[in-house]
Formats: sequence, structure tokens, C-alpha cells
Amino acid sequence: MQIWLPFRRAASPTTARRRILPALATAAVTALALSACSAPTNTPSGPEFFDWADVQIAADGQTVKLWMWGGDDQGNAYVDDVLAPAAAAQGVTLERVPIADTKDALNRVFTELQAGRNTDGAVDLVWINGDNFRTGKQADAWFCEWTDLLPNMTLVSDSDPLLTEDFGTPVDGCEAPWHKAQFSFVYNEATVPNPPTTIEGILDWAEDNPGRFTYPAAPDFTGSAFLREVLYSVSGGYENVPSVYSDDAFAELSPALYERLDQLAPSLWREGTTYPATSEQLTKLFADGEIDMMMTYGPATLTALVENGTLPDTTRVLTVDDGTLGNASFFGIPSNSGNIAGAMVVANEALSVEQQVAKADPAVWGQFTVLDLDALSADDRALFDALPQSPVVPTFDILSQNANPELSAEWVPALDDGWRTTIAAR
Amino acid sequence: MTAVQSRPRRHGMRATLLVLPAIIPVAIVVIGGIGTTVVQSLGLMPLVGTPALSVDAFESTDNLLGSALLSLGIAVVSTAIAAVVGFFTAVLIISGNWGGRIVGALSAAAVTVPHLVGAASVGLLLSDSGVLARILGIPPESWPALVAGPTWFAVIAEYAWKESAFVALIIVGTLATRITSYDETAAMLGASRGARLRLVLFPLAAPSLLVASAIAFAYTLGSYEVAWLLGKTYPEPLSVMALRLFNSASLTARPEAAAVAVITLLLTAAIVGVAMLGLRRMRAWQ
Repeated sequence: MQIWLPFRRAASPTTARRRILPALATAAVTALALSACSAPTNTPSGPEFFDWADVQIAADGQTVKLWMWGGDDQGNAYVDDVLAPAAAAQGVTLERVPIADTKDALNRVFTELQAGRNTDGAVDLVWINGDNFRTGKQADAWFCEWTDLLPNMTLVSDSDPLLTEDFGTPVDGCEAPWHKAQFSFVYNEATVPNPPTTIEGILDWAEDNPGRFTYPAAPDFTGSAFLREVLYSVSGGYENVPSVYSDDAFAELSPALYERLDQLAPSLWREGTTYPATSEQLTKLFADGEIDMMMTYGPATLTALVENGTLPDTTRVLTVDDGTLGNASFFGIPSNSGNIAGAMVVANEALSVEQQVAKADPAVWGQFTVLDLDALSADDRALFDALPQSPVVPTFDILSQNANPELSAEWVPALDDGWRTTIAAR
Repeated sequence: MTAVQSRPRRHGMRATLLVLPAIIPVAIVVIGGIGTTVVQSLGLMPLVGTPALSVDAFESTDNLLGSALLSLGIAVVSTAIAAVVGFFTAVLIISGNWGGRIVGALSAAAVTVPHLVGAASVGLLLSDSGVLARILGIPPESWPALVAGPTWFAVIAEYAWKESAFVALIIVGTLATRITSYDETAAMLGASRGARLRLVLFPLAAPSLLVASAIAFAYTLGSYEVAWLLGKTYPEPLSVMALRLFNSASLTARPEAAAVAVITLLLTAAIVGVAMLGLRRMRAWQ
């Protein structure tokens, strides 16, 4: 039994060296072979359609994979149970691909384009907006100029700034609107009897009630939107922040934002030493009663969360005098989709009055419509007026009063990075 | 030992040919993936613009050193705990009594739990208003910051728990067939329990303990979901940083993400390389 010492000198290292050389050679060859298909050189433009009938013929029998954020049960149920059957009636099979982050879909498309997969990509339709849309547009990843063909686009106002520009990026027919959203602050009526009425008031309230407020860490979508809300507030209103990004504007305006958040940090949950990573974690803190105020860019989901007991009955949406950010979200079709016609049929169906009414019902999903209600026929308009009211979320008219426009998408990563290096690292 | 060395070379060739079907796909995926990452990190595969060789991506990433140290710290601590706990778990399992069987079944079950599920469970258990805090009746404000706190407790606990089960099962696998005769011989010759553990069990288990720890370390350094879910916002481990940059909306961030991944890879390769050198020096391995 001479084996009690676990270590001793190795016998012959030369055999190992002999094995490493061929391995290195293989690595080099494989790397070279892969780098041969580097950056996307061609921009696939997709098929050409002359009219809607053309699209319908091409779409018949196609299967459309809709990649969308899967964290919202109501949204998933709406797509599976309401939208998919309507698409099936037109010969298009709609398959929902749940993803953790919209960027996953975008990254999939980029990777496919990098690899030269230009005509039969895995993504046919994406629920998208903002910086993701802009990034895709920069990389020529979208199929464009297709929304004019959709018959239901006539129900949408062509002068609505929320729908012609997506976070300052011209839509240019590269995406079809799906619904509108309004950034909302949410509070617990039981613990905040006299809620503040402005953004600055909310920050003051947070300082008066240490540990009862926080926001998700940028680049989370909601946390990032909160930064823009505070930027508007400390700049004296959205009018004072140029929508188009410039380094000068950022250098001039952002210090006030970070100074205010730095001042606020010690009063936050966990003294601002850490932040919830996602808006779901923020909601959990609110649901557990650890904080008394939170925020969401999707107030639509609140009604159901209160009804199923996740959130307290005393949950209320706070309307602030200075208004909050509003945006619209869209359907985008990647240029390398093999089912473009089918995707167009789905996007068109989603814009129909029936679908928009069904989707706006708080019991179904509660998403605000993108249709121009004033231009609808009296019968169609009545369908929207007859929708049940949510006890938690005010109507879109009230919620979107003084709505602030979104900044151009270039602002988003700049503000996020600045927050990370100044506030998160403090 | 001499029999192995005197075998004709042909024999080795045949063995190599037999494993080729397994090696080729692995090589294409692993080497291909690494190759693409290196090429991207050097700016040769941009999403937009013309490819140009540069090391900008390595230079422009903030707080790389802090993240690297944090990653290493988490991986070293959780692997060390996993190695110690895993070894003693294995000893308990091998003892063969009913307690050992239960622990064995628990370890086997723990290995099948995906890390993401494990992280979510640890989060629900240890967070401020988590299950444990509720059972003990401690209000959130007086509960220690185990999740997302400065000590990275929840992250380390999750990795240590999952990897200790993995380490234990690997050790059990190698020891189960040969331990009884050695152990009984030593006992016959009058070795005490402690002496048998130190002089028989540990040396025999050492190679698989080292290999299992190296695998656990490499995994811990490379995986992101546990640290992302249970970790602090800042500083962030390398893997979380790489993913955040990869998912960033700005197109220039992709090479930076690849650069962070390359650095993670080099760190892992260095540590695993050291472990493999150590393995070659082990008596029980020869």
C-alpha cells in the first residue's frame, strides 16, 4: 500500500505534446473555415407582392413562428386561443415561440444572417419595438415596405406619431402596429394613502420612506424606461430633452439625472446596493410587501394579477401630472423568413377590429388598441366602448394624458451604460 | 503499466478510429464555436461595416478585472465547498448503510435538477421574504441579504449544492468497484477509521475528486443564469457581463461580448490545464 501520497512526478509528458499538435491544427482549420462566412454581405430583400390577394395565395398553408416574450400568461393565452384560430381560418398555422427576451429573437436572426441563412430563417414574426427594432434596421434584418399592403392598416391613423416612429426610428413599413402601452407607476393604496402626483414627488416620497421603493437595473426594459422618466423630470419636462441623440445633449443633460439617482440611492430598497434584475423581480418585491410602489410598461397585466391574488386588492395605478412615456409595439418580419406572406396575414388579422377588441378586454389581455377609434364605424366603436372597466387600471384616455414621447433609441444604451458605471457601481 | 506501453501502435490507431464519430461532432461544435468567438472578438465578424483586425473589444470593456476576480472568487469558493462536501457525501454513500442510500438517492436527484430551476428554488428559499424567512417568522428588513447581497451567498450556495452532488456521484462511481477489498484489507491490518479515510479512501478518490472539481469549476465560471438571477447588480461576473453585452442593443457590443467570453475561456483553460497536470502526477492515476 504505497499509494498514500496523491502526487508524484509524471512519467512521460512527451506523448501529451504529440497529441496537442494535431488538435491545434484542427482548431486552426475549423476557425478558418468558419471565418470564411463572416459579416453578412448581401441583404435579402424577400419576395415581392403586387396586391393583398397575391399575399393570401402565397400564405396559404404556411406555418408562421411568432417569437415573443413568454413571461405574460395572458398574452400567451391570447395568441394561442384567440389569434391562432383566426389565422388558421385563413390557412396560416401560427406557432408561438416563447422567449425570455426579445433580443433572443433578434440575435437568432443576426446569427442566421451572419451564417448566410438568408431565405429560411427560424423566425417569421417578432413582437418588437424600440432599440431592438432600430438595431435590426441598422443591420438590414427586417423585411420592409409591406404594411401598406395590409387591408386593416386603413383602420390605423397614418399621422399618429406613436405609430409612424418607433422610439424615434421611422417605421418605414418595416413593422405593423400591434398595441399601445403606457408607462405606469403602481402603488399600494393601503400603505400609501396620499400618493405623490409628480415624478419628482415620487422620488421625494421614496426618500421620506427609506427602503420602500426601487427600480429594475438597466438594461432591463422597465428600469431603462424609468431612467428616461427621471431624465425628463430633472430636465424640467420632455420638451427640454432633444429626441434625437447627440453626445452634447447627453453630456449636458445626463449629469442631473445621475446626480438625482445617486442622491436617491441610499433611500432605496437595500440602500441601493443592488437592484432587481428584471421587472418580474420588482413585481415580486411589491407582491411580497417589501416595497410600496413599483412601475410597469405593461399596465395591462395588473388587472389579472390583482384578480388572481398575486398583487394586493389595494393595488392602484398612479397617474402623474407630468405624464408618462407612451409607446407602441409592433410585429416585425425578419428579411430571412421563409414565410413572409403568412406572417403578413397574421399581422393583418391582429389589426382587425375583432382581434383588437378581444385583446383590449382586461379579462383576455387588456392591451390598448392601436386603431384610430374616431375613424371607426359606430358599430365598431361601440364594441370598444362596451369593454368592461378594470378596477385597477384607468382607461387609456386618462392614463395617456400628457403622454411623453419616447426618446430616440440611441439614448437608451447611452443612459443604461451611464447608469451602470455611475449608479450601480457607486 | 508495461503491458500498455508495449502494445503495438496499430492498436492505438484502431481505438482512435473508433472514437472519431464521437470526437468529430464535438470538435466541430466546440472548436467551431471557440473559433467564431475568437474571430468575432478580434473584429473580423462585425454585424455591420467591414471586418478589420483589432483588439478594441478587449480594451473598451469596463471593469474587466473586477469581473474576472469576482468570477474566479465565486468559482473557487463554490468548487472548494463542493469538493469537500462531495467527498464526504461519497464516503457516506459508499458506507452502504441506510443513511448512505438515502444520501445517494438525494444526490442523484439533485444532479438531475437544472441549474436554472435550482437557482429559482434557492431564490424562493433564501430571499428576503422567501420560504425560510417566512417559516422562521423573520420580517424581510431583518433577514440578511443572502440573495443579491454583497457576499454572493445564494449564488455560491446554489453552485456548491448542485456541484457537491455531482462530485459525490463521480467519486462513488470510481470507488464503488474497488474500495471494499482495499478498505477491508486495511481494516484487517488494524487501520483505524481515520487512517483508512486518510490512507485508503482519499488517495483512491483523489483523481476523480480532482477531475470532478475541475469540471465543476469550469462550469461555474462559464454559466450565467445562477449569477444573473441571484447575484448583485454590480460588479457582475464575466459570464453575466458577456451575456449582457451580447444582448445589448448596440451592434458594437457583440465583439466586446466575444472578448469577455474569450477571457473567460482562457481563465477556465488555464485552471483546467493546471488540474490536468496535477492529475498526471497522481499515483492512483498511473
